[in-house]
Amino acid sequence: MHLKSLVISFFIFSSLSNAQVRLKDTVVEQKLDEVILTATRTYRQLSSLPLPAQIVKQEEIMAMNSMRLTDILNEQPGLVTVSEFVGGAGIQMQGLDAQYTLILIDGVPLIGRSAGTLDISRISVGNIKQIEIVKGASSSLYGNKALGGVINIITNKPKTDFHGKLFYRYGTFNTHDTSLNASFKNDNFSWSLFLNRNSSDGYQFPNAANLNTVDPYSNYTLNSKLGFDLTSKTTIFVSGRYYIQDQIYAPTLEEKGEINISEWNAHLKVEHHFNTKLSGDLELYATRYKADEYLNSIENDSLFSKSDYNELLLRPELKGIYKPSDKSTVIAGVGLTHESLDRTDFSTKPIFNSPYIFAQYDGKPKKNLNLILGVRFDSHNEYASQWSPKAAIRFKLNDHLALKGSVGYGFKAPDFRQLYFDYTNGFVGYTILGYNTVVTRIPELEAQGQISNIVVPISEYEDRLNPENSVAYNFGITFDPISTLQFELNLFKNNIHDLIDTRLIANKTNGQNVYSYYNVKDVYTEGLEFNSSWKPSNTLKFSLGYQLLFAKDKAAEDAFAKGEVFARLSPNSPAFQLDEDDYFGLYNRSRHMINLKVFYNYEPWKLKSNIRVNYRSKYGLFDTNSNDYLDRYDEFIEGYMIWNWAVNKRINKHYDMGIGIDNIFDFKDPPSSSNDFLFIGNIPGRIIYAKFNIQL
Amino acid sequence: MKTIKVLAVLTLFITLNSCTKDDDVQPQFQIETNTVTNLHAPQIGGIDQMGNPQPISGEFTKFDFSSGSITTSATEWDIAFRATSIIINGGVSFESTDEPERSGNAAAYMATGTMDMVNAVNTSLLEQDSVNGYVLSDWYTYAGPPTHLISPTAGKILVIRTRDGKYAKVEILSYYKDAPENPDAFADEERYYTFNFVYQPNEGETSFNN
Repeated sequence: MHLKSLVISFFIFSSLSNAQVRLKDTVVEQKLDEVILTATRTYRQLSSLPLPAQIVKQEEIMAMNSMRLTDILNEQPGLVTVSEFVGGAGIQMQGLDAQYTLILIDGVPLIGRSAGTLDISRISVGNIKQIEIVKGASSSLYGNKALGGVINIITNKPKTDFHGKLFYRYGTFNTHDTSLNASFKNDNFSWSLFLNRNSSDGYQFPNAANLNTVDPYSNYTLNSKLGFDLTSKTTIFVSGRYYIQDQIYAPTLEEKGEINISEWNAHLKVEHHFNTKLSGDLELYATRYKADEYLNSIENDSLFSKSDYNELLLRPELKGIYKPSDKSTVIAGVGLTHESLDRTDFSTKPIFNSPYIFAQYDGKPKKNLNLILGVRFDSHNEYASQWSPKAAIRFKLNDHLALKGSVGYGFKAPDFRQLYFDYTNGFVGYTILGYNTVVTRIPELEAQGQISNIVVPISEYEDRLNPENSVAYNFGITFDPISTLQFELNLFKNNIHDLIDTRLIANKTNGQNVYSYYNVKDVYTEGLEFNSSWKPSNTLKFSLGYQLLFAKDKAAEDAFAKGEVFARLSPNSPAFQLDEDDYFGLYNRSRHMINLKVFYNYEPWKLKSNIRVNYRSKYGLFDTNSNDYLDRYDEFIEGYMIWNWAVNKRINKHYDMGIGIDNIFDFKDPPSSSNDFLFIGNIPGRIIYAKFNIQL
Repeated sequence: MKTIKVLAVLTLFITLNSCTKDDDVQPQFQIETNTVTNLHAPQIGGIDQMGNPQPISGEFTKFDFSSGSITTSATEWDIAFRATSIIINGGVSFESTDEPERSGNAAAYMATGTMDMVNAVNTSLLEQDSVNGYVLSDWYTYAGPPTHLISPTAGKILVIRTRDGKYAKVEILSYYKDAPENPDAFADEERYYTFNFVYQPNEGETSFNN
């Protein structure tokens, strides 16, 4: 006992004294390194930012040997990868669904949300410099979709001279990942190239032959960037990205086909410094996302179904940055987003045009006070125009303690599907209509004798559908008692209005129904996030993240409070009444999430090792007791913990190699029978891998 | 059979007598609580295997609360079942094929609560089947993909005035044969109703309390 406490106190003492010795350069190093662009659209120190934000650096991505963006984000505090029934893995942030987070690459948006969620497993991490995560509504800078937050992927910038790097990783499920990075830079020219191939045999759970386990796939990413300094004051940046994926598509045992995805984007940016105080940039961005899928009947090899998705986004933007002094920065910009979509099951080929204008002040009116005020106006041809204000403040009490708070507005415009869908299910016979389609399509169906009864009058569809919108509040405290120890606590609340849901609008003569979209729900998510990191020495680092979350539907809360909700203990037993305490909240939300990471470097052997643990408490996937609500008598996915381990060794200046195990204890929750739909589809079990790096 | 009838009449007589004697109230029949299992309610047509809607037809399975059993009588029935459709012997036809003729004066409404909570009939809510649809249509939840289960919605009680002015309340428990603990829409046979009901045999009595 004595010995133990002695050892511990020695450990703490020695690390404290260590810390004090290195205090100066550590601080400097951190402050230089941790610069974030996403939060203000100017380069800002992360540590002094009044907004809740995080940076995941290349070093961490390399240490974890990640391949795709999903892998790395899933291990960040308060973030969790959620997969939806219709393909695609997205990120849940502050309890908001994946579709409410804007995903950017080098500041410009990725598209291809065919079912609402952008599949971020599409993004290779092989050329990422850092991932910037800004939590809380950010529409004041980014407009549409920045309701829950923004994730911006910053790719590598070329360093002086020629550099080349080859990465290869092989692991379970015959998964190969190969990356090539090459770059060159001299005084006024830079060039970089990134090539990645990722393929896997996928995996299949025994009882889920026809459900969303992963079918075999292979994909390629190509990204090349050029930079010129035209004059000492003018620079040009050009970037092109191309992504292509082929995946087997086998949703049932009777049919088999393929999904082919291709995406390209082109990005041009001209930057000019007029003088030391004023600079401006012109950005032109274009991107196209295509997904074509077909299914053939296996029995007679005839075409069973086919669908196409072809989305285009164009965006010119002009932005100015004015720095009258060291104490303040003003930015302002104007732009236009043009989107079009050509898709199977759509009534028209819709076009969205949305001009916008924004401005932001970021300044220090007093020495210890930082204030950010921003506003953006988005006009739109298909839905109500939006004003998105934001205010944030940070007050530094002393060198160790700071308070920060922010209020912001965020919105997500109705997507193409919610406005223009015109789909009738071939198996069951129900119909889903986009909001704008109802007015013309219902009378047509009626004339064809397909409608037996109209439940919601068409006149309700004459107004425009409102964007889903939210007001987000964040309040945080950062506390750095010593330079090696950091604590951050953030309380958050997102009040979301006009959430779009489907409802039954008419009965069909075939006994099925017609559904359409409408603004209905008010939901909120609230909770706290706690992050801490401790670096007892240069070779050891601990980090701990925790999120507490309550995500609830207000109408559901009312229904429980009024005693209008009932449940059964088993599907065939009599019902009983539920009360407020029985309401669990929204689907797919865990009350508690914890992640713990330990990084350790053993210098004599040039070994870098880490252990990461992720915990997620129980959550519901769907209503299992037929009362439309998630209550305590529903069946849940039980809480689970996943342990990951990696070790990398530097052999010499040019060679690195590493091995690792993701999900060491082989946790998985597959379906227990073909009738069990309450299972985890995106955790395949233990993954063992090896990788090597060659640097030139 | 005859003996039972005689016995029943005798019991009735004795009950009537004893009631009048004891406390001077109206004659009372005992409230009946019962469970019906596997009431088969088949249907012809619907969505075929190619996913195309076909005309729906087929006899409704009729049920009589006073006897507590299914019946083939053309007039002596209170409610009738065909797949998820439930009709009452009162009102006008929704014009679906093979609907039986409504000769009675039944009416109904959907109540929210447990069986015990619905302890009296709110007669102002009673409605009859009409060209707009069936009164007792909102009793189940269709889960959609992937389970495709049809489950009786918890907290939905069918309150019914019978063809001859008596009252009953019904809680449907299952739509699958033998009311399985974990129904499987692909394996279990559907269109087999299991339900609890309480029948108030005293005409005009709206309370379900004894």
